[in-house]
Amino acid sequence: MNDKQNYWNPVLETLPLEKLQKLQLNKFSRIFQWAYKNSKFHRSLYDEAGITPDDIRSLEDIKHVPKVEKSMMRDIQKKDPFPYGDALCVPLEEVTEYRQTSGTTGQPVYQPDTWQDWEWWAECWAYLLWAQGYRPTDRVFIPFGYNVFVAFWAGHYGAEKIGCEVVPGGVLDTKARILKIQELGATALMGTPTYILGMADTARNQMGIDPAELTINKITCAGEPGAGIPSTKKRIETAWNAKVYDHAGATEIGAWSYECSHQPGGMHVNEAFFLVEIEDIDTGEVITGPGKRGKMIITALDRMAQPCVRFDSKDIIEWAPESCSCGRTFRIIKGGVVGRADDITKVKGVLLAPSAIEEVVRGINGLGDEYEVIVEKAGDAEKITLKVELMPGSTDRRQSIESKLTDQLRLKTNLRYDLIFNDYGTLPRYEVKAKRFKDMRKK
Amino acid sequence: MMLTENELKKIDDKIKLLRNTAEDLKDLAENIPAITRNTTRLLASVKMMELNISDVIDFDI
Repeated sequence: MNDKQNYWNPVLETLPLEKLQKLQLNKFSRIFQWAYKNSKFHRSLYDEAGITPDDIRSLEDIKHVPKVEKSMMRDIQKKDPFPYGDALCVPLEEVTEYRQTSGTTGQPVYQPDTWQDWEWWAECWAYLLWAQGYRPTDRVFIPFGYNVFVAFWAGHYGAEKIGCEVVPGGVLDTKARILKIQELGATALMGTPTYILGMADTARNQMGIDPAELTINKITCAGEPGAGIPSTKKRIETAWNAKVYDHAGATEIGAWSYECSHQPGGMHVNEAFFLVEIEDIDTGEVITGPGKRGKMIITALDRMAQPCVRFDSKDIIEWAPESCSCGRTFRIIKGGVVGRADDITKVKGVLLAPSAIEEVVRGINGLGDEYEVIVEKAGDAEKITLKVELMPGSTDRRQSIESKLTDQLRLKTNLRYDLIFNDYGTLPRYEVKAKRFKDMRKK
Repeated sequence: MMLTENELKKIDDKIKLLRNTAEDLKDLAENIPAITRNTTRLLASVKMMELNISDVIDFDI
């Protein structure tokens, strides 16, 4: 194997855009045909819309194919065959993998995969890890019990596929994981941004170990948007003295996007394996050029057991105007996934994306990594409370920190907050997906 | 490092040969799970090579 090769697959990763789009059209037709032929759910959806695989002759035609919502997947799995329902395209005995979504937005969705689908998951991760500089010489530590959630299972198998040595750190507690990284001289780490920051904090404040002096040189983040938020990324990179790379994927979709080692201020979409459409939230029109945010509709072009065809992901993204200096022709989404359509909420009549609050909090020296946002009714009005922690040794600067925080929040979110300064270490710590935004108006 | 069309075609030929061989093997050893199940895994890897190379040839990209 040529470890100096920049690309996992130079054939696909440097294909000119028009050729990539021709490939996408052909592959879309193939997966659409497959779903139409083998899934009762998909056939009924398409028959109702009066569209068949023969109607797809151009990328333009694809927008007429009905979208699939997560709520539809929940309904499907109430049907036979148990537990997946009638979107299943293969006999049940060909399913080798069970995974499920985390249930953050409701009843978890169950995801069946065949062994071929599982190879595909690992292949998608191989693209992303290779682009982030992982090579067979790396020793990768994964500080999670993977459970029924796909991300780090796929990361594990993807790293193995490219030849890395993988250390699963699941059964250990945080301190034992840090000691294991130190003992083995692990060079790479995968995790949620929240937990990776928490590990650094534990190492420094409870163990007297400076994580920057450990041997980790790259960290792949998944599961949360943090590695795409500049101030969070900077905190993690400083804490670990390592490059931090963002990645986006989902159980129902696959590992569709990743930052490369050139860190272009966004993530490449693996356009050989996925078709990403950006839809204007108001008009529903497809946004083909850079500079305008919209909602992602995505198709996994090669996932067979339970196809993902025009899935309404609710992720908010926009195409970047620039190509990447890494030479990949896969387009970049600027700033990664910048929010979710169902996370962006109106408070006091202003649209608020929780990630904007994180960008402010973690950009202020003297504040801890943790924070909590509570939106609630106060009579006829609404109020937002932001709880933060002062870092040890920063209490005498509280006034200036508070003033800076107020100004930055006003500037970045156009809202006023009730601020509560907690003692360091008193806000909840999370291992997987953090729940820092609490909208009490819905109760 | 860019491959010529001819080089790509040669790789694709070998991938197709692998698929044919694996499918023949699966048929021949249909009563031997140790062969058929391992061949299923092998074919999944072959499919990844098809996605990486053969699609470009087969779809005339």
